[in-house]
This record gives sequence, structure tokens and C-alpha cells, in this order.
Amino acid sequence: MSEDNRIPMKAENLREGMKLGPLFYLVSAEQIKKFRAALSETGAGAADDVTVPPTMRLQDYGLLIATRFKGGQGGVHAKHWCEFYEPLRAGQSIRVDGTIIATFRKRGKFYFTLEYEQRDAESGVLLTRQAITSVLLNENGEMK
Amino acid sequence: MIETTGTFEFGAEIKSAPYLLNESSADAYRRALDSPPRRRPAKNIHTDPAAASRAGFTAPIAAGEQTLAVIAEFLAAKFGARFTRGGRIEVSLTRPVFYGDTLVSHAVAGRKENGAQRLDIWVENQIGERVLEGVARVRAEA
Repeated sequence: MSEDNRIPMKAENLREGMKLGPLFYLVSAEQIKKFRAALSETGAGAADDVTVPPTMRLQDYGLLIATRFKGGQGGVHAKHWCEFYEPLRAGQSIRVDGTIIATFRKRGKFYFTLEYEQRDAESGVLLTRQAITSVLLNENGEMK
Repeated sequence: MIETTGTFEFGAEIKSAPYLLNESSADAYRRALDSPPRRRPAKNIHTDPAAASRAGFTAPIAAGEQTLAVIAEFLAAKFGARFTRGGRIEVSLTRPVFYGDTLVSHAVAGRKENGAQRLDIWVENQIGERVLEGVARVRAEA
């Protein structure tokens, strides 16, 4: 069993410039189908089962955080931006890389911004670039 | 289903059909994201009343990313490749969404410049509160 070298997910361990990832996965047609079903009332169900809906891999930020950090009480999503260059497709191998680009305190809450991008793992073509700003919950689960 | 009001010129508004974000749709959303598996605290603000209370909420809240997905998929359905190839969205999650809330996405056409059209976007809950606000950009029609 490999040693877990990840560090605790807490404010003092988050620093601007920290690199997260890379992580790799294969896009699954089954996941596209499930995602479209969960959001079908939005019109997302109208498209095919090969092209990934633009926000289906939005949650890759959580996987990136888990490559470097462990534990923690989670966070509260505050802001997000996404730029869509090319849709991901079923069967495509994806590489995801992220960087913590900001950490700050505001009105007693600790915020951090993680910018990340998805690329085709084989060609390196940029598919999506995005950033999430979250309020990190402290070890007691509070927004402090 | 998407409702539109007139042509989508400057100032025109489109809005989505209502989306019920209840525990069932939240479970379906979470299940759709479980590959690769994501680690979360067993009890968190999305599932546990005590965890939600410690974070300052009156009840467990829906994941903010699901509300973002609701409006982004609405825009993708409305604008297709104009949004999914070269589009952009930037939002603030301004209020919590609770299970049982009904969400309607709105977009108002802004100015066209540099080959793109700006949209002012927001999501309202069933009592007209904005739970998400921001701007989007789609490629202008050729």
C-alpha cells in the first residue's frame, strides 16, 4: 500500500501558486446519459450521448483538491467562471491540472480560488478553463 | 422546454422551464458525478442538518454547482455551439438553494461586440429571490 503524503485541508495549508494534479480519466457515455437525465428539464436531454454537457466535469475541482489534500469539512461555493473551448466527448482521455490562484479572508471567512483546465490527454488541446472560489469551512464546520 | 419573449435582440429575455431541485434530482446529479469517485466528508452541508447548521444554514443546501449546471445547460440548449465552443459564464452564488426549491433560469441579451453577445443571467427560486447572478458570453450569430 502506498503512503498517503497528502496534507490536511485547512486554511493555513492553502497557498497561492500551489499546483494540484494532474489527474486523468476517460469520459464515459454512461455518465453523459446520467448527467443529462439529472438535468433534463433544462433542455440538456435534447442533445446526443456522445458530447459532454458543458458543466458535467465542473466538479473536477474536488478531485484535484483530493490529489494534494485530505480531510476537511468541505466548502461553500461562492463564485465560478468557465470558458468553453471545445466540448469533451465520450471515450476521450482527459488531463486536468489546477493551481490555487488566490487565498484571502473577507468578513471573517477564508476564501480560496482554484483555477483548473481540462485538456485532451493525448493531443493537449485545451477544452475547458474554469475557476471556483469557495469559502472553506474550518475544522468545526463553520464559515470562519 | 424553453420559453422566449420575442426575438433575442438587445434587451430581449429568455427564461427556462422550472427545474425542481429536490432530494431526488440532487441524488441523480450526485450519482452522475461519481466517476471517478469523489471523496467527501460523510456528513456534510448537503446531506446533514447538523453540518448545515454549523455552517450557518437553516437546512441542508443543494450543491452550488448543480444550480450553475442548471443555467449553463439551459444556455447550451438555447445557443448550442455558440455557447459550448467559445462561450463563457461567470457567476456568483448569492443565496443558498434548499431541497424543494424550484429554479427558473433567465438571460437578457446585452450588447454585441468583438464577435460575441453578452447576456445578463440569473436564476430565481420560487419566491423570486435570485440565487445565482452573473454574465455569460456566446458567439454572435454569423
